[in-house]
Amino acid sequence: MKLLTRTMHKFFPAQMTVSAHCDGPCGVYDPASARIAAEAALSMTKKILALDPNDRSHAAANTLARFISIKEEQAQLAKTDLLVLWTDYFKPPHLEQYPDLHDTFWKAAKLCSAVKVEVSLEKAEELMKAINKIHSIFWATKGREVPYYTAS
Amino acid sequence: MRESGGKEILLWLIRLRQRYRVRGTSMLPLLGADDEVLVDLRAYHRQPPRIGDIVIASHPTQAGLQVIKRIKRIHEDGLIHLQGDNPDPAQNSPSLVPARLILGRVTSLFAPAA
Repeated sequence: MKLLTRTMHKFFPAQMTVSAHCDGPCGVYDPASARIAAEAALSMTKKILALDPNDRSHAAANTLARFISIKEEQAQLAKTDLLVLWTDYFKPPHLEQYPDLHDTFWKAAKLCSAVKVEVSLEKAEELMKAINKIHSIFWATKGREVPYYTAS
Repeated sequence: MRESGGKEILLWLIRLRQRYRVRGTSMLPLLGADDEVLVDLRAYHRQPPRIGDIVIASHPTQAGLQVIKRIKRIHEDGLIHLQGDNPDPAQNSPSLVPARLILGRVTSLFAPAA
């Protein structure tokens, strides 16, 4: 059996490959993706809070359901983007430079969950502040000054 | 990891296992560059992923890139914590991926690099 598999390996190598690099080879990371998702969740939170709670029409129910769906989707997306940045980009030397790095990401991820399950303008705005902080740390580790901005 | 025996080879011949070649060193000492493994792409249709499984997964942010790593933790919200075996942190970093990106379970070593 070993002769067969080694012969196949030598003369007919597998065409499909899987990467066992520390992370993807392109190395493209940017907290902007999390910021856009968090900003969308903030926007939907504002829109939900602006709805008339006394309007019991089907159209109002449909609008509310859509707003909630988008808010939850975008908050989860922000969380995933932050966790990928935290675990794939940041390395032990960054932690030495920024000792509160883990705490910052952990709290930001918790805020994403809160924004997802609640309708809290306060939490959504706190999340934006946390992402602003992560933006500053991220670009400082790259030795670049990139201004923080929001779309709205 | 055990080498592919008769049953695994038979499953490969009838296309119930797929061959993949490993690139990179984050799975050392278990798997090195150019080792080939067999993968069961249907493994998680029958049962959920388990901690300790070696899996292939789609990279969460890079379309078309597939990675091979070990499941370290499974979070309640569906995210799976993957990490290579290489103890050198410079060669290894954890990833969090949604469960839907897990493509299959590595079942055996088809052939080591020459």
